[in-house]
Amino acid sequence: MPATDTIDFEREFEDLVAELRALPSVAPDHVREHVRAFGEPDVGPQFWDRLVTFPWRRSLLVLAPVCVIGLVSAALVHGLVNSGPKREAVVTAHSGAAKTARAPAAGAFDSLPAPSPGRYQDYEAWMTLRVRDLQALTDRTNEAMQVVRAAGGYVASVQQSTPAGSPGQADLVLRVPIARVENVLVQLSTLGTVIDRHLSITDLEQVVRQQRARILQLKLFIARALEQLRGTLPADVRLRLQLQLEQARSDLSKLTGANKATLRQASLSRVSLTLTTQKAAGATKKSGSGRVDRAARDAASFLAAAGAVLLYLLIVLSPLLVLTAAVFWGVRAYRRREERRLLAST
Amino acid sequence: MRAVNAVTTSWPGLRVDRPSFSAVAESELDAVHRYLLFLTGNRSVAEDLTGETFEKAFRLWRRFDPRRGTPRVWLCRIARTTALDYFRAEDRRRKREERYARDLPNAEEAPVGTGALGAALALLSPAEREVVALRVLLELDGPTAARVLGISTTACSTRLSRALKRLEEMMADARD
Repeated sequence: MPATDTIDFEREFEDLVAELRALPSVAPDHVREHVRAFGEPDVGPQFWDRLVTFPWRRSLLVLAPVCVIGLVSAALVHGLVNSGPKREAVVTAHSGAAKTARAPAAGAFDSLPAPSPGRYQDYEAWMTLRVRDLQALTDRTNEAMQVVRAAGGYVASVQQSTPAGSPGQADLVLRVPIARVENVLVQLSTLGTVIDRHLSITDLEQVVRQQRARILQLKLFIARALEQLRGTLPADVRLRLQLQLEQARSDLSKLTGANKATLRQASLSRVSLTLTTQKAAGATKKSGSGRVDRAARDAASFLAAAGAVLLYLLIVLSPLLVLTAAVFWGVRAYRRREERRLLAST
Repeated sequence: MRAVNAVTTSWPGLRVDRPSFSAVAESELDAVHRYLLFLTGNRSVAEDLTGETFEKAFRLWRRFDPRRGTPRVWLCRIARTTALDYFRAEDRRRKREERYARDLPNAEEAPVGTGALGAALALLSPAEREVVALRVLLELDGPTAARVLGISTTACSTRLSRALKRLEEMMADARD
C-alpha cells in the first residue's frame, strides 16, 4: 500500500515532484556551525532516561505471560506444599490411636488457647474424632471415659448409636477440672483423627466479682437491719424493715446459690466429644490421587484468592484509572485540535 | 560517514549500537532544515527552529532508541514539536498585538522558494506543506510520515494528494 502510494504520487505529479526536490534547501553555514558546536553529548545512563527508553509495550508482551505463569506456579507449589507432609503427619499421628500407650499429639491442641490460671473462666470444647470401625468406636468411647475419670472429671452423658448400614457415632459430654482440661484434650485427640474442633472461653471474673460485691452488700444490710430491729422503732417502720430484711435474706440465698454455680462452672470445663466411623471425603484417602485432588483444590483456592485481590484492586482503582484515562484522552484531543488549527492557517 | 558510538542504549541486555550525535547531525541537518522550511514557510524562522531542534536533540540524545525509528524520523518529531511551540507562541503574540496594536505591520517573510513554485507553496497551509516535505523531500514512507504527523496513513495519503493537486493547479494558473 505505501509502496503503491509512493509510486502513484511520484508518477502522477512527476514534474512537480522533480521541481520541489530541486528547490535549494541546504541549511545555511551559520546554522551548520551552530549545530557542529554542540559536539557529542554525554550519554551516561540516567534513571529517568532508562524509564523513558525502556520498551514497555514489548516488555508487557513478555511480562504478562510471565506473571500468569508465575502465579500459576505459585498456586501449584502452594497446593503441593499444603496437601503434602503436614496433613499426612496428622493422619499418621492419629492412625495408631488404638494403642494404650500413645505419645501426646503434638500440634493437635497446641494452637488452642489454654485456660488462664487464677481466673474464673467458662471453658467449653467440642471435638469430633474419626475412628476406624465400630469396634474401635466402642473402645475409644471407653477410653475417653477413662481419661476423663483419671483426670478427676466425670461423664455427664454418653450416647452411642451403631445403626446397621450407617456409620456409628458416640456423643459424650464430659466435665473435666479446668486445671487438667488441656491435658485431657491432648489425650482425647489421640483417640482418633481430629475432624473438627471448637473452643469457647468466657471470662467469669467480672461475674464472680459482682456477685461477691452484691453478697457483701446484702450481708451488711441484713446486719444493720437486725441491729435496728433490736432497738425501739415505730410499728410501721419496724414492719417495713422486717419486710426488707426478709427480701434481703431471700436475695442473699439466691445470689449465694448463683455464686456457687458460677464457681462450679469455672472449676469444671465442659467437653463435648463426638466419635464417628464416618469417612471424611479426601481426609482419609492416602492414595496419590487424593493428594493430587487436594493439591488441585489448594491451587484453585490460591488462584481464586489472587483473583479476588486483583478484582478488589481493580474495583478500588478503576475510578482513578478512568479519570486518568479521561484526562489523558482529553488533553490529547485538545492538543490535536489545537495542532490542526495552527497548521491549517496559511 | 556514519561513526558508530560505543555508548549504547541504557538497558543492559537490550544494547543496541547507534550512530554518534555529531554524525547524525551532520547527515540530517539539511533534511530537518528543509522540513522546517516547508512547515513554517519562512526561511529565517526555519533556521532558528533548526538550531533549536538540534539543541533539544542534543539534550535528549540519551533517549534516542534506533530500534524505534531512524534518526531522521526522531529529529522530525522534535522539529515538529518545536515548530508547533513556535506556532503557539506566534498565535498568542498575534492575538496580543491584534488587541493592543491593530495597525502593526506583519514581519516580512522570506518565502520557501522563488518564482511560481515559491508563490504556490506560500499559499498552501503549513499542514499541506508539512506533508509534502515529509513525503516528497525527506522521502519518508506513508506509515512513517503518518506517525510523525500523528494521523492515519490514509489521512496522510489524502492530505499529500490534495496538497500536490492544489500546488499543480496553482502552478498551472500561474503559467496561464
